[in-house]
Amino acid sequence: MKHLIIISLLFATTINAQTAKEIIKKADQLMRSDSNYGEFKMTIVKTDWTRTFGMKSWALEPDFALIYVTEPARDKGTVTLKRKKEVWNWIPSAQKVIKIPPSMMLQSWMGSDFTNDDLVKESSVINDYDHRMIREEDYNDYNCYVIESIPKPDAGVVWGKLLTWISKEQYFQLKTEFYDEDGFLVKTYLGTDIKELGGRMIPTHWEMLPEDRPGEKTEFVYLEIKFNIDVSESFFSEQNMKRVR
Amino acid sequence: MKTYLMLAWRNLWRNKRRTIIASASVFFAVLLALIMRSMQEGSYDYMVDASVSMYTGYIQVHADEYWDKRSIDKSMVYSEEIDSRLENIKHVTLVIPRLESFSLISYEDVTKVASIVGINPETENKMTRLEDKLVDGKYLTNESKGILLSEGLAELLKVGVGDSVVLYGQGYHGVTAADRVPIEGIVKFRLPDLNKTMVYVSLDYSQWLYSADNRLTSLSIMIDEIDNQNVVYENVKSLFDEKYEVMTWTEMMPELVQGIEIDNASGIIMLGILYVIIGFGIFGTVMMMTAERTKEFGILVSIGLKKGKLALISFLESLFLSFIGVAAGVIVSIPILYYYKNNPIELTGEMADMILSYGLEPILPFRFAPNIFIDQFITVFVIALVSVSYPLLFIRKLKPVEAMRK
Repeated sequence: MKHLIIISLLFATTINAQTAKEIIKKADQLMRSDSNYGEFKMTIVKTDWTRTFGMKSWALEPDFALIYVTEPARDKGTVTLKRKKEVWNWIPSAQKVIKIPPSMMLQSWMGSDFTNDDLVKESSVINDYDHRMIREEDYNDYNCYVIESIPKPDAGVVWGKLLTWISKEQYFQLKTEFYDEDGFLVKTYLGTDIKELGGRMIPTHWEMLPEDRPGEKTEFVYLEIKFNIDVSESFFSEQNMKRVR
Repeated sequence: MKTYLMLAWRNLWRNKRRTIIASASVFFAVLLALIMRSMQEGSYDYMVDASVSMYTGYIQVHADEYWDKRSIDKSMVYSEEIDSRLENIKHVTLVIPRLESFSLISYEDVTKVASIVGINPETENKMTRLEDKLVDGKYLTNESKGILLSEGLAELLKVGVGDSVVLYGQGYHGVTAADRVPIEGIVKFRLPDLNKTMVYVSLDYSQWLYSADNRLTSLSIMIDEIDNQNVVYENVKSLFDEKYEVMTWTEMMPELVQGIEIDNASGIIMLGILYVIIGFGIFGTVMMMTAERTKEFGILVSIGLKKGKLALISFLESLFLSFIGVAAGVIVSIPILYYYKNNPIELTGEMADMILSYGLEPILPFRFAPNIFIDQFITVFVIALVSVSYPLLFIRKLKPVEAMRK
């Protein structure tokens, strides 16, 4: 009898571990599927100025993504291409493709609160981290799982820990907190404004709030999303960066 | 009085060897102290002067918070009026406008990070002698649409004069700053850090590239003499309100100031030890000389020379002796210091690394300035005079009968 209890306890924890990873996976699937196309506005809010970009993106999860800037005029045509762990930029005014050197990967992308590294790493969260459910709580009227993700020892990740709030029923990723290796909160990612887009109910308004610069943030508002689009690896090429519209 | 002077002078040369030994001890003391101090202060002067004229200037004006954030978003509006008001301040010799930011620089497959500095080519050259560092191509003009590339960076990118590179970064308020530009010239810096990162463009071009019309990240101010720095600082500060920050090189390069302070403290301790050794050296010589002449003093007092007069003669002798030593020390050191001022000693090894880490060339120039000579002249002379008070005391206590029996 005792054995049985111990075994079932062990079993329960493994189920729990699997579930945490699965929950993250489901939330990720909800927002990305295997491939997707999106149109969105990115707004950079600083204490003394604000700037809005219009963008289109194509992604073949988890390794390939291409982002095309539609406005403002001076930046129109700029393309960011992600292939696995590398990032390229196409600069139409200079007619030049630039590969972002490793030393610049932690620099801001397009002046936002995202780094080039964030672009590369966001889709590898599922496999780069060990996930564990630490509690369930209500957040923004949703009953949520709170999942703690600790990077695996060999994962080249800059964060020390992530805390993610995922709603139980719909798998909305409502909030993610990024902690550094000393356990200090660095930035917070919020998903709000849940509505139907691309045939699904999803958060359409995303915000990244840096902890050390109160009053500043980067916002994403999705205008259109299509899931499981017809796109192949060859679409994400240097040649295509110069052609996409 | 003239008689006493004559007597003292003749006494001095009655025993030439004694005089020469005594004044030699003073001479070497002065020479050593002078060389040591000149070397030290010379290296500080050089460090300050080189750092200041290499980049920061003595005083800089930025928009508030720029120095901490180093972001082009913390730039300030530039006007001819500000410029002329600064230039009209007394002791200000140059006002150097700059617009700086980091960008990627790319040629074919190679991309590096560079510091892009928009300059007024003419005034910049007056301050940093940038044109002298040109190794290929030509220098910038106000209308230049090309760049001056540092030699190390050119090597990394494998480019030369006439090639076009792409600059890609962020301009004012997040605007994309990208352009293809020709290389007009290559400049070589002795400092590896600068040599691998610096890119110069004309101010107008950088303002266009970064969409920062009429904006600057810094105004550097050069002054005539470092001693006038505080006066100029107050005057500059009174021209700007709290939306600006006015900083001196001591605030912008605290590590340099601290380095100098630490080094100077140890230098002063060394100098103190040197003075103590010098003092005892001179004192010992004087004591021996006095002991040697005990009998002579005894006889002179016995035959009627007043002790006061004898003391005066002895004092004058010491005065001459010290003066000969100090003067010889100064005269001999002048050509030495002058030579090393113009031909600085080149350092190697650890010392060189330390100085390189401050961003300076590892050379050790001497200071050749009146104050060094005056300071050491006075100090050693005073030490010598204190030592020669011994014969005065000796004469006062002299008992002629006993003295004559020695």
